[in-house]
Amino acid sequence: MAKAKPITGLDPQAPTGKNARIIAKVRLEELYSWDAYVDNPYYIQELHNLRIAAKRLRYTLEVFEDVLPEACKPIVKELEQIQEELGALHDSDVMIALLRLCLGGQDSPIPEQLHSDVKTQREKGKSLVAPELVAVVLDPAVAPSAGERYGLEQFLQRQEQLREKQYTSFRQHWYTLQARDFRREILDILDT
Amino acid sequence: MREQPSPVRAAIDIGSNTIHIVIARCSPHNLEILEDQVDLVRIGESVTATGEISQQKCDAAIAVLTRYKALAEQYAANPIFVVATEAIRQATNSASFLARVQHETGLTVQLISGIAEATLTFYGATYEVSSGPNPPAQIGVMDLGGGSLELVTAKNMHITWRTSIPIGSGWLHDRYLASNPPTYDELAVAESFLQTYFQGVRIKRRPPVLIVTGGSANSLLYLVHHAFKLEVHQSQLTQRDLIRCQGLLSSLTAEEVSERFQQPLERARILLAGALIIETVMSYLHLNEIHISPHGIREGVLLAYERYGENWLEIVSQSAAFPNDELHADVKPAVSNVKAEEPFAHSGRHMLQERTKKFLEWPKEVLKHEDVEAVHKMRVASRRLRATLDAYESCCDPKIFKKVYRQVKRIADALGAARDADVMLLNLQGQLEHVKSEEQAGMQWITARLEIFRQQKQKQLETILLALDEDKLEKQVESCIPERVASHGKS
Repeated sequence: MAKAKPITGLDPQAPTGKNARIIAKVRLEELYSWDAYVDNPYYIQELHNLRIAAKRLRYTLEVFEDVLPEACKPIVKELEQIQEELGALHDSDVMIALLRLCLGGQDSPIPEQLHSDVKTQREKGKSLVAPELVAVVLDPAVAPSAGERYGLEQFLQRQEQLREKQYTSFRQHWYTLQARDFRREILDILDT
Repeated sequence: MREQPSPVRAAIDIGSNTIHIVIARCSPHNLEILEDQVDLVRIGESVTATGEISQQKCDAAIAVLTRYKALAEQYAANPIFVVATEAIRQATNSASFLARVQHETGLTVQLISGIAEATLTFYGATYEVSSGPNPPAQIGVMDLGGGSLELVTAKNMHITWRTSIPIGSGWLHDRYLASNPPTYDELAVAESFLQTYFQGVRIKRRPPVLIVTGGSANSLLYLVHHAFKLEVHQSQLTQRDLIRCQGLLSSLTAEEVSERFQQPLERARILLAGALIIETVMSYLHLNEIHISPHGIREGVLLAYERYGENWLEIVSQSAAFPNDELHADVKPAVSNVKAEEPFAHSGRHMLQERTKKFLEWPKEVLKHEDVEAVHKMRVASRRLRATLDAYESCCDPKIFKKVYRQVKRIADALGAARDADVMLLNLQGQLEHVKSEEQAGMQWITARLEIFRQQKQKQLETILLALDEDKLEKQVESCIPERVASHGKS
């Protein structure tokens, strides 16, 4: 997960409203720094980072609700929706990765090796599936039967289709916001 | 002695799709409707497109309100209430719109919250059922508007849960179903969006009876009566009726729908979106049938005024009236009462303390293992605390900050892992009954594996929470921003 950008230029004695605007603007820039990945459906980590950035901006606007303009409220709702859409997409990505592991991993002659690979990748922030979960699903004592494998394949196929729709739905929303210049809109509100 | 006739009052609501007036003789539990008119203005259309109410929509709304005011005066209605809902709440220029309405029509508009909207709609939609011979013990009411959807559940006619969801028929149409008629792909994306969204809505008890109100619901009932020859006196719609409506509406243009079924063109455009939303909610609540009511927020306003007098809106809005409000307990941020001019470091001290207090309200609930939502709520509280810590880092003592931050992050990570397992399981459970048996076998296998993983994560979370020294954390947070920084700005 990308770290929150540190905020510079804050004056402890300045009015809270003034500093809150500076923080919100930094979080807004953070959000738009991931904008370039919106058209890349399989930049899974970057889309996840976009979600985290949306979340950070949303929480900043909520935490400083009392000192920011009232017009921030509908912005929070839009951010919440982006977060929901990207959250659902991420959930699908995790499930797809898990199902592929189950189906591929059970075929693998050395599941221990696969488990250790996932652990290394996870440490580098590359794997979507927690190593403990990999260990549980690759336990040879409970390998799926032929019928269960078939069911897992069906489920994987449906999950991939769902993921495609979720991505389209999110992208469409993002472009609707672009069309109304959402970034400018937020900056204008913060400048009032 | 002759009984005094009940007073005549009027209520107007400015919604995302319509502006609607009801004039009635009112008593606390009954209404005699004298006039009921509606105009489709679709203010929400411009709000979805640009974020604000356009000049054209503003003019149209004022023309309708002027006409309604004259109508109410013909009946000597007093007072004339005007409430505004989601589209106006969302609009960035709502204040100037409300001021212009006041200036040009003399009407004062109350901009009500989504929660007040849900409650008032409940009063309006249920007053006939509740005064009937056998009111249902458990009931739900959904008001499908143009810009939002309000959902309320009640036990013995007392509200137990309610929520406002920012999805309405006009909004869904404008965002996902722009073609006329909508294309197959547009429909698929809209359906997927709705399913995804409702997966995230948590309701503790599904009501066995659901009353649906709002313009789209009533138009769909009309359409079913006329297109599929349903008995005209019937006010129920089944899931099958709605699927048939979707088939019909996705194969005709809005103009054809308008002409064949005597619907205003603007209503005809958004009916398919309405059918999709209602059907998704029915699936979500596991209902095969719903009841459509022509009554809603306007009738609710009139009844609330008769019941509570001048302070009706205040009383309706009071959260204390809803002890079981679960969903919004975590959604609504705590009131911090920070003033814009208050020095930053000073506000930081009490904001950090307040967020920590909120965060520490949850460990006991999580450790009870009674409600999976407690983990989610504590995780949300941890995010708010971290957002506050991030914001005030520059004012904090670096050593203490690091200690606090590390501790909160560790708990947040454990909550995140436990919650992710819960979400995966909830998603699987939600889909299981809708898939073929051969797929179910695979899903049950993975569910069993995830249950084991969930138990491991719950155990880890439990260990971390049991080791948490709440007093110590509170003290550390208290000293995070040193007094000298708060008073002199020396960091």
